[in-house]
Amino acid sequence: MSDILLSGRSVTKSFRGLTAIRDVDFDIPAGAIFGLIGPNGAGKSTLFNLITGYYALTGGEIRFKGEDLSPLPTYRRNQAGIARAFQISKPFPALSVRENVRVGAMFGRPGARAAEDVVDQALAIAGLEELADRTAEGLTVGSLRKLEVARAYATRPSLLLADEPCAGLNPAETEEMVGCLRKVRDLGTTVWLVEHDMKAVTSVCDRIVVIDAGQKIAEGTPQQVVANPKVIAAYLGEPLEDKAG
Amino acid sequence: MNRALVLLAAIAVVLAAVLLPLWIGPFYTRVIQLFFFSAGLAVAWNLLGGFAGYWSFGHTVFIGMGAFSAAHIVTRLGPFGDGPLSMVLPILLSGLICGLFAAIIAYPILRLRGIYFAIAMLGVSQVVGELVNNLSWFQGGVGVFLQTPLPAGTAPEDFFYYLFGALLLASILIAVAVRKSRFGYALLSIREDEDTAMMLGVATERYKIMAFVLSAVLVGTLGAVYGYSVGYFTTYTVFRLDFSLNMIVFCLIGGIGTLAGPVIGTAIMLFITQVLLSRFLDIHLLITGAIVVAIILLMPGGIIGALRSWRRPAAGGGAAATETGS
Repeated sequence: MSDILLSGRSVTKSFRGLTAIRDVDFDIPAGAIFGLIGPNGAGKSTLFNLITGYYALTGGEIRFKGEDLSPLPTYRRNQAGIARAFQISKPFPALSVRENVRVGAMFGRPGARAAEDVVDQALAIAGLEELADRTAEGLTVGSLRKLEVARAYATRPSLLLADEPCAGLNPAETEEMVGCLRKVRDLGTTVWLVEHDMKAVTSVCDRIVVIDAGQKIAEGTPQQVVANPKVIAAYLGEPLEDKAG
Repeated sequence: MNRALVLLAAIAVVLAAVLLPLWIGPFYTRVIQLFFFSAGLAVAWNLLGGFAGYWSFGHTVFIGMGAFSAAHIVTRLGPFGDGPLSMVLPILLSGLICGLFAAIIAYPILRLRGIYFAIAMLGVSQVVGELVNNLSWFQGGVGVFLQTPLPAGTAPEDFFYYLFGALLLASILIAVAVRKSRFGYALLSIREDEDTAMMLGVATERYKIMAFVLSAVLVGTLGAVYGYSVGYFTTYTVFRLDFSLNMIVFCLIGGIGTLAGPVIGTAIMLFITQVLLSRFLDIHLLITGAIVVAIILLMPGGIIGALRSWRRPAAGGGAAATETGS
């Protein structure tokens, strides 16, 4: 459990002078469900974009299984074991649900062949079996979120970056999604979850990293984080007496 | 769909195509020969434009390059024996030259997406056409000869009917193989969402280049044979904007990104323009234009898309045939 799967040191990203992520350190142990929270614009999605290679680092380094990620292009990082489910669902609209998942299964590992059992397994985890032959275009928000997770899982990652998988879901669907992430973890994939739904985050995560304005302000168990004054300040603003004093 | 039935129907169509010139006169043999050529082009364009979503507006560059390569290979390096077999080497080499050219321009040009790639290809075809026309070495302005060593007793229209027919068949088989393979899934995922494809482990750059080169080789090969079939040509016989546009329109009409779409689209459009409207030469382009607009408005997924949504209206419709470029 104590093996570090993904680690970041002084991770920094600037966009022409605007620093979106500044000196963030993190260690994600294998086998956990890790949380990443922070107010809007804190840099959560940017951090995920740095890990998947969609953006290049301005400074610092990210290591996955001990290896520096910076020379690897996005598709190689996926093949190395990092998958991502998007905040805004990005299905392949004209393909069927099964075909969407099949793309993940076919390319997620170097030299991977079409592994239909992986596709079936991923569909089952997300509870999408009955929708398998539908085109992704007509799916509901809830099903699209599941498809994101199923397709990412089909690449057989060791780390799943789940970017707000519960956004826009009703409480029942959120419950299902949380169950789905648990299943993914139980099958051996570490999950790093960005989520705004505090109930979902605190119920499912072993540990949580909090960032605000591009900097890490706290890390700990859900109870520690929720009680942390810095976290409360980031979400709700500073108490008035502090400002006066 | 019943696999054996499809196979049987395919064999019947091929057999009928082989026997057909015995009954029809030279005019219709030429019409069908034009159909084979155009459908082959559409199938080849569809590999990149339909499967990968990279619409090229300048694919005629490979027709021109294929034809001129063949002519220069024969006059400068040839002859390569006599009889029709002497055509094999120039045709294959011309296809390879087009593939090589595509591989060289692929890296910069395939970084452009959507309409930017389309326009860039239009530019490439214009630039190459002008170079061939104006650099005296290429002789594009005065024209080049490319004689066909016909087998004794064979009419040219029959010979090219079979040659283009065989090339169309080969193109279709290649397209089917691509569509069913891992390569095909990579191209579809690129068309649907290139960034997501990357995130799922698809080496998008490599697969795009492969599709581009394959498409160029097929079009270049067809271009070389086209050069033989016309015998003498200048720049503007083979570097033609209407060739580029026809490939796109035929695919649109039939159903972009589908396997049968390009062939069906070509058949319909050529039937309309060459047969139905052959007596109204002065207004046939006008009517053709109106038909194209009508079909695209009424059936945005093309004929195949319309058939699909008609067969299973509840299942999300003819979505398998997308009309978007990027």
